Amino acid sequence: MSALLDKKEGAEHLLMGNEAIARGALEAGVKVAAGYPGTPSSEIIESLAGVAKDANIYVEWSVNEKLAMEVAAAASFAELRSLCVMKQNGVNVASDFLLHLAGSGTRGGMVLVPCDDPGALSSINEGESRFFARTVEIPLLEPGDFQEAKDMTKWAFELSEELKQLIMLRSVTRLSHASGNVRFGTLPTGEAKARFRCDGFILDPDEGIVISAPVDYKHGQQHEKLKRAKEIFEDSPFNTYEGPEKPELLIITSSACTLYSREAISILGLKERVGLLKLGTTWPLPPKLLTRYLSLAEKILIVEEVLPFLEENVKVIAAETASEIGIKKFYGKNDGTIPMVGELNPDYVINAITKILEIEYLPRPEEYAAKTQGLAFFGAPQRELIFCPGCPHRASFWSIHNALELDGRKGFVCGDIGCYTMALLPTGFTTLKTVHAMGSGSGLASGFGKLGQFGLDQPVLAVCGDSTFFHTAIPALINARHHKSDFTLVVLDNSGTAMTGFQPHPGLEVNAMGDNVPDLDIAEICRSMGARVEIRDPFELEETRATLNNLMEDNEGLKVLILRQICGLSPEKKAGKKYEMAINEEICLGENCGCNRVCTRIFRCPGLVWDKEKQVTRLDEVICTGCGVCADICPAGAITRKEAV
Amino acid sequence: MKIFGPNELLEAVINKNLCIGCGACIHLCPYFRSYKGKTAMLFPCTLEEGRCFAYCPKIEVDLDELSQQYFGRSYEGGPLGNYLSIHTAQAGPKVKKASFQAGGTVSALMSFALAKGYIDAAVLTDKEGILPVPRVITDADEVLTCSSSKYSASPTLSALNQAMTDEYTKIGVVATPCQVLSVAQMRMNPLEKEDFVDSVALVVGLFCTWAIDFRTFAPFISERVDITTITKVDIPPPPSEIMEVYMGEEKIEIPLNEIRELVPETCSYCIDMTSEFSDISVGVLEGRPDMNTLIIRTDRGQKIVNEAVQEGYLVIEDIPEENLEHLMWAAGNKKKRAFAKAKEEGMINAEEDKKSYLRLQPKTVKEITG
Amino acid sequence: MAGTQLPNDPYNIIITGVGGQGNVMASRVLANMLVKKGFYVTIGETFGASQRGGSVMSHLRVSKKDTWSPQIPKGKAHVIVALEPTEAIRVLADYGNPDVKVVSNTRPIHPAGVIAGDLNYPAIEETKKTARGISSHAWFIDATDEALRLGNPILGNIIMLGALSGLDDLPLDKEDFREVIAESLPQNKVDINMEAFDLGRGLLKE
Ligand SMILES: Cc1cc2nc3c(=O)[nH]c(=O)nc-3n(C[C@H](O)[C@H](O)[C@H](O)COP(=O)(O)OP(=O)(O)OC[C@H]3O[C@@H](n4cnc5c(N)ncnc54)[C@H](O)[C@@H]3O)c2cc1C
Ligand code: SF4
Ligand code: SF4
Ligand code: SF4
Ligand code: SF4
Repeated sequence: MSALLDKKEGAEHLLMGNEAIARGALEAGVKVAAGYPGTPSSEIIESLAGVAKDANIYVEWSVNEKLAMEVAAAASFAELRSLCVMKQNGVNVASDFLLHLAGSGTRGGMVLVPCDDPGALSSINEGESRFFARTVEIPLLEPGDFQEAKDMTKWAFELSEELKQLIMLRSVTRLSHASGNVRFGTLPTGEAKARFRCDGFILDPDEGIVISAPVDYKHGQQHEKLKRAKEIFEDSPFNTYEGPEKPELLIITSSACTLYSREAISILGLKERVGLLKLGTTWPLPPKLLTRYLSLAEKILIVEEVLPFLEENVKVIAAETASEIGIKKFYGKNDGTIPMVGELNPDYVINAITKILEIEYLPRPEEYAAKTQGLAFFGAPQRELIFCPGCPHRASFWSIHNALELDGRKGFVCGDIGCYTMALLPTGFTTLKTVHAMGSGSGLASGFGKLGQFGLDQPVLAVCGDSTFFHTAIPALINARHHKSDFTLVVLDNSGTAMTGFQPHPGLEVNAMGDNVPDLDIAEICRSMGARVEIRDPFELEETRATLNNLMEDNEGLKVLILRQICGLSPEKKAGKKYEMAINEEICLGENCGCNRVCTRIFRCPGLVWDKEKQVTRLDEVICTGCGVCADICPAGAITRKEAV
Repeated sequence: MKIFGPNELLEAVINKNLCIGCGACIHLCPYFRSYKGKTAMLFPCTLEEGRCFAYCPKIEVDLDELSQQYFGRSYEGGPLGNYLSIHTAQAGPKVKKASFQAGGTVSALMSFALAKGYIDAAVLTDKEGILPVPRVITDADEVLTCSSSKYSASPTLSALNQAMTDEYTKIGVVATPCQVLSVAQMRMNPLEKEDFVDSVALVVGLFCTWAIDFRTFAPFISERVDITTITKVDIPPPPSEIMEVYMGEEKIEIPLNEIRELVPETCSYCIDMTSEFSDISVGVLEGRPDMNTLIIRTDRGQKIVNEAVQEGYLVIEDIPEENLEHLMWAAGNKKKRAFAKAKEEGMINAEEDKKSYLRLQPKTVKEITG
Repeated sequence: MAGTQLPNDPYNIIITGVGGQGNVMASRVLANMLVKKGFYVTIGETFGASQRGGSVMSHLRVSKKDTWSPQIPKGKAHVIVALEPTEAIRVLADYGNPDVKVVSNTRPIHPAGVIAGDLNYPAIEETKKTARGISSHAWFIDATDEALRLGNPILGNIIMLGALSGLDDLPLDKEDFREVIAESLPQNKVDINMEAFDLGRGLLKE
């Protein structure tokens, strides 16, 4: 049985931040958890799904984040504890419902966990979810380490029930995806019964109807809840101070930055000079607590990721209490002491402190540092992101690229979010020309497809993954069909949400918990809209290319090409090679006219390696997955494939 | 011959809309492909010298060098180039009837050459709808499936490259003048490969004043008729000034003036009407829609014509003086106009470091342009 | 074998490599072995898109008393385990110091830019020399080749862990390894992993 269900109170396990959040939810007796996969959030739902049967809870990967929040909210309205999880962008998707939910309030404890990605380690933005908490006026918690990730999650449910309000618990990549020791509490044993009471007095929060209106009344209620939260936060054990009674510098921080700040103080040996106020309850801020600590020092440094959220909120309190605490000198993002862009680390905090206190710090001898100059460049060639060996996307974009070049009318492809976003890089032959939100490729294409009236004569293409198709591409297709927009959608169907680790979606026969469920056929859905639909195997390069050219030439509205091939990393694929590959060095043309290394220079599957000495291409049999595609691009027939036994 | 790489080809020919889509750079490697009459470069190639550039008839064509190679003398700029004799011709009784463009001379010669083993593969041009489709034919009877002219420029030489890759050693090719120019360059082993063999055993050149751009022709025609029903397209010899489009028994006529709008710019730089670097050249014969004009240029051309006549594949006669005169006039006219235009654009004998379309003795240029 | 004493507290380990080499698994196994010995361990990892052929790194902080930042400060690594040789250099450039130790695999994985011919990949001898010039000691092990001999290249990461245990800086014992592996892998995989661990340890000791 998974460690997550360890019943032993006080047991200690090494948990990933996301697993700690999952355990916290289990200790709180969560009954329903829903989310949409997105790095760095996915392991929360995954962990819960893994124990769903044993813990008797319901877990789903919803079609998109708004649905995840609605599914979880329904459980809350039925007096169950529920959790919904998403990456930062997901909150944008869910935000319409979020605003209304904040207004209507909740019943069973409900917690929203968004995982932000400062530094965009696996995103194409570093959007902030914390501002949503302020905008829709709900309490916000930010755990500062792994133990807190668990403890705070558990507490968030209790707080939610006390306030009858949704609680946002915000994590970041460096907590969600980092691991540390976590000491367990108890798991609840009681059963919970779902019931939705909705025929009491209409304004009754427990038995009335659930709605954010009448607005003046409900909005007022919401403010009462926030006021109550402030009071509770004044004494919260998640807000801590460590340092001298009269620090020269007070650092105010939250989340993973707590660990960076603590480390910076420790490395600089400044425990006697610098104080650290770590806040776990970051909206609304408890004003008394802040006033107390702001009084301690003249210089205040605020350390946080990404935008100056804490900084602004602290400054408001400082302004309001200026007569009491005096005028402070603030350091942080606004004055440039801490960068406004990207993720932080201990070194940024070290820098900030040394600048403010005017002290010297050398992480290593100058002479050593000099030796490493330029090494990262010359000694370690850059690794750009590439599709995996045997990846169907490489084959798909090869054909899309070639079809566009042959067509010659300067057609272009609108992309969106998934592994295939990398097709804007050389690994995908720089095929994508726009990348925005989930489903936006199709939405933009629907718009481009109407510009013929104004002389746009370039063929319009969009790509989306199978999971993205269900997430938000469907409305775009409906829009396109209804408005007779002319474009071709290529669905890169690799049978799973590959980027985030093969979470199931509605196109598959199994759900998050491993149950058999009805699968929805993408082709049928598109046909039912009246689109012309073709299905191909992207590993059949020539056929795929020809089909695409044909679809592009058909300027009668909506066309859909489904390219079906399982992801190279999927468990099925990893089980065995389809082909044994070989390269005949004798006939390899190498850099000669006639080939000029099309395999290693352009196609660039990492399974193929250019041997500079011998001037031939070699196969790296450790890396090659035996997909066989490169045999079809070699002009000399030097690459051969044999059915593997 | 000056040789550069694909980037220069792209810059000096394709991006300047000078590419006629002859197919000489297609199927040499993974980079150049032809699709519906248009030549595209799929991916960049970094080589500084390549066959693509060397073979292209639209850039760095050294007329003197070619003329020396094939006729043992400098390029002199006569309207019809070098030749041994000129005749009228027609397919002989040994050849089955087919929908020939004119006298069926070309099809007759190719069937004969295949049947007698002078060639082991014939590079011809078939069609799908009105799209010209290059083919490698190895059966004498099958030659007839490719008869009749497709007036759109065709990437026929891609099939020649394919036939070479497939290791045919005696290849016959039917080509337009630009393509014949390219074949002449190919046969000179411009990249000086050690293992090079000239596998082209027979070049039959067509007369050509211009070809049409398929990409503009297709929509033009489909506005008038259903493309899938077209059976034949003909441009009868002057002075008819029309294009005839047949759909079985039915036919429509389109004024040639409208068709000339669809001719790519690059044809106006083309200095050759009669495929001067072929073994045998064939065109229509004014006033005789069932016959051809035939020019024999080389000894091996002569030999094949002689035998084809002997074996009943071909019937030839002396060409009437007035036809010859008019042919000279038409070919000379095309040459003069093209030379004048190319000269004006600085495309002849350009400076050392610039790329030039043509190279030849400056005095010959003067003689031609007057 | 050292006791449960750490040479430094926190003791900072970086495991680096290329996406797909089993970096994450190696760091998890190592951390779990150390948790069994009663340490606080923090692991910081690179996930997601950066796994697709990119450089990956796991930072491990081992401490008797505290949870540390999941990111090691610049210049503060105590040991670097590299599943790919040039990754050792990349990490040394940022996190190295005169006292750092390096244990590296010798098998290169060529970056796309090298495959494409745009970038140069240094010869292994050059990499060894560079690493030795900026570390207190650097060991190079043919982990992938040995793993192939054992029948599966992915065992390279376990061989490297075995090698790390051979440094005797950390209390990494074989029984803890067996337990940790048994918790995460099917029973029939345990023996081959044990063999790989021993092999790595032996190779370092040579
Ligand atoms: C684009 C074009 C323009 C022409 N312009 C003139 C002209 O101005 N004056 C003139 O006298 N003659 C011209 N011709 C030649 C003429 O149309 C006949 O092809 C020629 O007279 C031979 O007739 P035939 O009956 O022997 O041909 P067939 O026996 O019917 O054989 C025709 C041959 O032409 C080849 N062919 C067809 N289309 C093409 C193409 N697009 N590119 C390359 N090869 C092709 C086929 O492979 C076939 O072997 C032109 C031909 C073409 C293709
Ligand atoms: S594509 Fe074929 S001929 Fe060209 S370098 Fe690769 S293996 Fe050699
Ligand atoms: S078969 Fe070729 S394309 Fe497929 S994984 Fe192996 S090397 Fe790469
Ligand atoms: S140089 Fe050779 S390999 Fe490169 S594009 Fe030209 S023909 Fe192809
Ligand atoms: S060789 Fe022919 S097809 Fe290629 S660029 Fe030149 S004219 Fe165009």
